[in-house]
Amino acid sequence: MSNLLHFSEHTLQEIALVFMATVYFLRIKWFLKWTLAKERQPATGMGDTNPKKGARYSLVMIMKPWTMESTRSKPFMYAQFVLFHLGVVAAIALSFIIPYGPGLLKSAALVSAIQFMTGAALLVGIMRIIRRVTNPYMRAISSPDDHFSLILLTSWFAFALMAASNDISGGEGIIQTFFLLTAFFLMYVPFSKISHYLYYPFTRTYMGRSFGRRGVFPLRKKPAYETV
Amino acid sequence: MNNGKDARSYKAQKVIDRMGQKLSRQIVGSLTACVHCGMCTDSCHYVLANPGDPTYAPAYKADMIRKLFKHHYDWTGKYFPNWVKAGSVYTDQELEELKDTVFGKCTNCRRCTINCPMGVDLATFNRMARGLLCHVGIMPEGVEYVAKEQWEIGNQMGVLKEDFIGTIEWQEEELQEEMQDPTAKIPIDKMNADIVYTVNPREVKHDPRSILDAAKIFYMAGENYTMPSEGWDMTNFGLFNGDDDLGGAVAGRVYDNVRELKGKKLVMSECGHGYRSTRCEGPNWAKQDIEFEAESSVITMLRYIKEGKIKVDKTKNPGSFTFHDSCNNARSCGLTEEPRELLSLVVEDFREMYPNRAENYCCTGGGGAMSMSEYKARRLKSGKVKAEQLTATGAETVVTSCHNCVDGLTDIIGHYNVGMNVTQLVNLVANALVVDDRINENTTKYAAELATLG
Repeated sequence: MSNLLHFSEHTLQEIALVFMATVYFLRIKWFLKWTLAKERQPATGMGDTNPKKGARYSLVMIMKPWTMESTRSKPFMYAQFVLFHLGVVAAIALSFIIPYGPGLLKSAALVSAIQFMTGAALLVGIMRIIRRVTNPYMRAISSPDDHFSLILLTSWFAFALMAASNDISGGEGIIQTFFLLTAFFLMYVPFSKISHYLYYPFTRTYMGRSFGRRGVFPLRKKPAYETV
Repeated sequence: MNNGKDARSYKAQKVIDRMGQKLSRQIVGSLTACVHCGMCTDSCHYVLANPGDPTYAPAYKADMIRKLFKHHYDWTGKYFPNWVKAGSVYTDQELEELKDTVFGKCTNCRRCTINCPMGVDLATFNRMARGLLCHVGIMPEGVEYVAKEQWEIGNQMGVLKEDFIGTIEWQEEELQEEMQDPTAKIPIDKMNADIVYTVNPREVKHDPRSILDAAKIFYMAGENYTMPSEGWDMTNFGLFNGDDDLGGAVAGRVYDNVRELKGKKLVMSECGHGYRSTRCEGPNWAKQDIEFEAESSVITMLRYIKEGKIKVDKTKNPGSFTFHDSCNNARSCGLTEEPRELLSLVVEDFREMYPNRAENYCCTGGGGAMSMSEYKARRLKSGKVKAEQLTATGAETVVTSCHNCVDGLTDIIGHYNVGMNVTQLVNLVANALVVDDRINENTTKYAAELATLG
């Protein structure tokens, strides 16, 4: 392994991670400085809901596509969402496995699993780029950051797919690029929409607490009065 | 006004400055978390009725407000505005364009909110944007007029106290006649009542029958109730124009009157936004906790039937019925089951509308849209979705628990020739009341009294 690759796999990643964590810390601090609006309204709706229950429900709704019309009516889009995010998990895992646990990649099953997840995410990424460019609604709401973030992630999946075997016998180019992209990704993410997961727990919890207090969450599909 | 990009009009500057005061963490979360995934697009009735026009997409409309937040209050937008589509407003014309979006292209129905995977609540910050514009006098004329009435006269239809009392007395006479009971009352300002009953000014001005129907139900239930001569308007235009001060003043007026009358419970007649404003948002706007119970009249009527205080005969309401969920009742207050349970007790043929409950589509009259005549054509066009929903039920009558929805649905039914009637639960419950025994009893009693008097 060359010094450059070693640097990219270790020092560069560590610097990038510290940088990302620092910006995230500042970002959360900035977010928390905004005053949390007090909810004074008495509980409404049927009596079996409350803010805590609503918040829990709200946080896991994304894992229950049948709870939202937007995910229920677009199963193909939902499948894309799942594959895309599994790809992110696999690529992140790979960026740690290669430098800190390369022995794990001796498992052909693990390598295949990572390749499947990043490969599927790559395909989804390409489909999403096409959708964002060709769908007039998506084009109208997209910013340069939306396009760039998607292209960045899709490229990253491509290199993760190729780097999964951690084989440098044919040259270090692929793995080197994967780690350079990873470092850039880590430093860019806090400034981009990719950092949405930072806000997810907050927005979903706030919404869930409010809707739980009002008896809106959990959403009802059949008459509660017939089951009470 | 200055068209230069380094200076902005007085109003534009005010909007920017005030935005900082109105941002809560909940709103900032919603303004920051959108990933432009587009999943909300099809949830909006405006989008469905205007295919191919992305300016109706919830995320697009949200970005009209979000860009200001990013430019002035978020790092990335401050330093890389073009990269994240941040932008400011500089001219009054740009504020007018923002008005067109926040008032004319969204009814704050919250359907996109419950369909957003990230939990972005567009309706909440759309309301905030409305408030910012209203603060500098930029709003539809009808909104300005109604808000002024509610500030100055105390109710949104400018009903004077003497007219209110006159209408109640007129309904009281009707009640006495229908019940054959000259002692039947619609009490006004009675102290220590178990229920203080508040209504929508539309009932006083255009639909007093619903006050009479409610009075019949209270009469048959033997309820110890009263209506306040002040603070009887449970609607609240503060919800629509985004003015928390108006919202707090109107809700506070209702709460104060319940306290002054030493009422035990506040009951609100069927009005979606009124229920939401008085029951849910009012305490927040007025910055006061309410110590008395508050409930929708739907729950009150249901309780009367369950407790045997009133008897109903569903055969008195022949025909087929469907139920339209008011957005504010269902999506913002969880009032979805009680109206259905009540309806099933007073009609024989109830047909569910799809989608329903929290997923129901807006009647198109939400968010104060009925008062914005300049957007009427746009509103009626967006009603195509609701018209199709109504038609698919095959029902003869649509029932709703909201006066605003009554008007919105009536407009759509007329515009699309749907051929349905619109009514409310109070009308159906009153019509289904088993009153014959009571009337016979009253007739006998007063005939005997008259005979005694010679």
